[in-house]
Amino acid sequence: MNFTTYYSLDSLIAAGKKEARDKEAISVDLFDTLLVRRIHDPDLVKLPVARYIAGLAAARGLKWSWRKVQSTRDTIEQGNRAATGQKFTDHEACYPLFMRELLEVIFQGGYDESLLERVTEYELTMENSMLVPRRKLVDWLKELAAEGKRIFVISDMYLPASHLEKLVAHAGVLDLIEAVVSSADTFLAKASGLAYPMIAEKYSVRPEAWLHIGDNPFSDGLRAFDAGLTAMIIHDPGEDQRKSITKRYYNYSDGRPFWRGRVLQQLMAPLEDENQPGTPLYTEGYNFIGPLIGIFIQRIAELCRKQNITKVFFLSREGWTFKKYWEKATPWLFPGDDLPETEYLYVSRMALAGASCAYQGLTQTNADIAFLPAGNRDFRDVCRIFSLKPERFAGHLADHGLAVDTCLSHVHDGYDPENRKKFELLLEDESFQAEVKRQTMDANRAMERYFDEAGLFSHKNVAIVDIGWLGTIQRFLFEAIAHRPDCPYCHGFLFGATRGIPYPESERNMIAGVMYDRNRFDLAASTLFYAQDIFEEACRAPHPTLNGYRLTEEGYELEFRKTDDAIGQAELHQDEYFAPLQQGIIDSAARFGAAAALLGYSFDDWKPWINYLLVSKLAFPRAVEVANIKNRHHLDDFHGSKKPKADFGRGLKPLWGQSQLQLKFNPLLRIRYFFRHLRGRINE
Amino acid sequence: MSTVHNNRYDLAGIELSRLIKTAIVGKIIPMGNFRGGPGGRCLVVLALLHYLGYPVYRILAQYGHRLQILRRIAVKLRR
Repeated sequence: MNFTTYYSLDSLIAAGKKEARDKEAISVDLFDTLLVRRIHDPDLVKLPVARYIAGLAAARGLKWSWRKVQSTRDTIEQGNRAATGQKFTDHEACYPLFMRELLEVIFQGGYDESLLERVTEYELTMENSMLVPRRKLVDWLKELAAEGKRIFVISDMYLPASHLEKLVAHAGVLDLIEAVVSSADTFLAKASGLAYPMIAEKYSVRPEAWLHIGDNPFSDGLRAFDAGLTAMIIHDPGEDQRKSITKRYYNYSDGRPFWRGRVLQQLMAPLEDENQPGTPLYTEGYNFIGPLIGIFIQRIAELCRKQNITKVFFLSREGWTFKKYWEKATPWLFPGDDLPETEYLYVSRMALAGASCAYQGLTQTNADIAFLPAGNRDFRDVCRIFSLKPERFAGHLADHGLAVDTCLSHVHDGYDPENRKKFELLLEDESFQAEVKRQTMDANRAMERYFDEAGLFSHKNVAIVDIGWLGTIQRFLFEAIAHRPDCPYCHGFLFGATRGIPYPESERNMIAGVMYDRNRFDLAASTLFYAQDIFEEACRAPHPTLNGYRLTEEGYELEFRKTDDAIGQAELHQDEYFAPLQQGIIDSAARFGAAAALLGYSFDDWKPWINYLLVSKLAFPRAVEVANIKNRHHLDDFHGSKKPKADFGRGLKPLWGQSQLQLKFNPLLRIRYFFRHLRGRINE
Repeated sequence: MSTVHNNRYDLAGIELSRLIKTAIVGKIIPMGNFRGGPGGRCLVVLALLHYLGYPVYRILAQYGHRLQILRRIAVKLRR
C-alpha cells in the first residue's frame, strides 16, 4: 500500500501533524472529509431541488411533476458527462451548464438567468443544510494556516469552485484556504489523477512537498501517490455506522410510515460541533417538543395554502414560540411560495373576556366558562374575569335575591342550585346586560383599534393559532369583533383541542385541533391530556400576560400583568427554568425545516411518529423526565383563588403529579393510568 | 449534561430501546394508531446497528477487503 489509511480522525491528525512538518502545501478533499453529510446518499439533496423547480414551473402554469424534473435532470447530466468523456479522461459534469439546459427545457421561452440563480441558490442552501464541518479537522487546518502552510480544498464534484466556496465558507475555513479546486471547472479530476499535476502547475506546488488528505482510497490515495504526493486516507467506522443507520431509517420509512418521523429526527440531529453537551431540558426541547411544534407549524402552513389564508395571527403567549419556529422553518418548507403574513397578537382570555361583552353582553355560555375552574365561586369571580366592577351590580343582584358573594359554583361549600337559577335569570335582565355592555365598551374599542393596526380586518381569511385547549381565546376574540362588517373568516388552529365546552362553530368562526382534536378518536394523541401545562409553559413568551386593552386619547394601550408579586415572580422563575427547553425548541427549527424539505413528507406521514412520541413521553414517561420537564409554576389568572369543597378532586392525582418514589418503583403505575385514560376516551 | 445525539447515533430521550419496549407493550394493549408500527425485523436490524454497529464497521473498515470471500458465499446462499 503506498498511502496510509487511518480509522479515526484523531490518529489521522496525529500522524498528519508529523507528516506536515516538511510540507509546503496541504490539500483536503471536501465531501466526507472536511465536511460530512447528514444523509447517507448525496443525491437526496437533488429531490427538494426538483420539487422547487416543479413549484416554479407550476407558478408559471407549466405541468412538471418533481419526478419528471428529476429524471430530466439525470438524463441531461448523463448527456453532459458523456460529452465531456469524449474530450477528457474524466466523465465530469458542470452544474451551471446542465442546470441551465434543464431549466431551458422546462421553461422554454420563459427561461432567464434569474431562474438559474434562484435554483442554484436553493440547491446550495440545501447542500449546506446537510453538510457539517468536522471540527477536529477544521481546528487542525487553522493550526496549519497559522504555521504558514498553503491549504487547498479539492473536490471531484459537479459544482464549480465558485459554488463550492460557499460550502467551504459554511465550514468556516474559507479565509484559510488558498484555492478551492473543483473538477467541474477543468474536467480534470482526482479520479483520473489529472487534477494533481494541473494544480501543481497552476499553483506552483512541488508534489514532494504536498500532503493530500481524503476519504477515497483510489482518487485520494492511489492517484495522489502516483502523482508524487504524500496521501493520507480517513476511513472512519463511526461515519460508516452513522450513515448505515440513516440509510436504514430512510429505507424503512418508504415502506413503513411509522419511520418517517424517526428519519426526520435522525436528519435533524446535530453532528460534530453542533452536538454540544447540554442540560436534559435542552435535549427534551430539541428531541421532543421541537419536532412536535415543527410538524404543527408545517400543517398550519399547508392548511393556509389550501384555504387561501392570507395572514396568520399567533396568539400570545404560546404563539411567540410558534411564530419563531414558523420564521425559521417555513422558508425551508415552502421556498419561493407566497406564504401568508404573520403577526404576533397580544391577547389573553382575561383581556378578551371583557371586550367580548361589549355588544352581546354576558352570555350564559360565557358565564358557565367562568365557573369551569374550581377556584371561581361567585359573582365577584365573574366580574374579575370579565373586567366588571361588582359594586355597580349591587342593585341588579339584590333584585334577583343574590349578592356578590353568593356561591354559584357546585364545587364549593354553600352552593344552592336555586341561586344558580337566579343568576341565569339575572343574565336575562336587560338592565343588567346594558350595564355589562357599558362597562366593557371602552375595552372593546381599544381592542378593535389594536386589532385594526395589526391588520386583522384587512384580510378576508385569517388563521388564529393558539396552543389550545377549549378555544376560549378565539371564542372571546370572535365574539368581540363579530359585529363588524369587515370581520374576517377566522380559521382557528389549535395544537390540541380538548373541547370541554361545545365551540360555537360557524362559517366565519371555525376551530380545529391539529395534533389532537377531541372531535375525532385518536387515542395516542389524546395523551396530551396527561400534561397540557408543559406545552403551555414550554412555548410561553417571556413577557407577562395581558390584563386588558385601555382606551386612550391617542388610541389604545396594552396593559400587562405586573411581575412584582409572588405569582409574577413565580412565572419569572418558571421562565428561567425552562429557558434551555425553549432554546432546544428554537434550535431545532431550522434543522426541522431542512430535514422535512429534503424528505418531502407532510403531516399525515409524520402522524404515526407523533403518536408514538406522545404516548411514550407523556403516558409512559421516565421518572427523571417527569422530574425535569414538569413545570415548576403555572399561572392561570382565569382560575380564582377560592378553595373548593374538601372532597373535590380527591383521587384524581395525575400521573405527572405522582412522587418520584411512585414513578421509579411502582411497576404498574403507568399501565394503570393508561387503562384509566383509555376508558375515559372510550366513554367519551 | 448530555448530548442530543449520543455516541451510538441514537436520539437522547427517545432511544431505540425505549421504542422496542413501547412496541412490545403495544402488542398487548392498544396504544393508538402507529400505522403498522415499527416492525420486528426493522427493530432488530436497527438495534444491531445502534448497539453493535461500531465494532462491526471497525472490522469491516480494516479487514473488509479480506472478507470478500464471505460476501460472495453470502450472495450465493441468498440465491
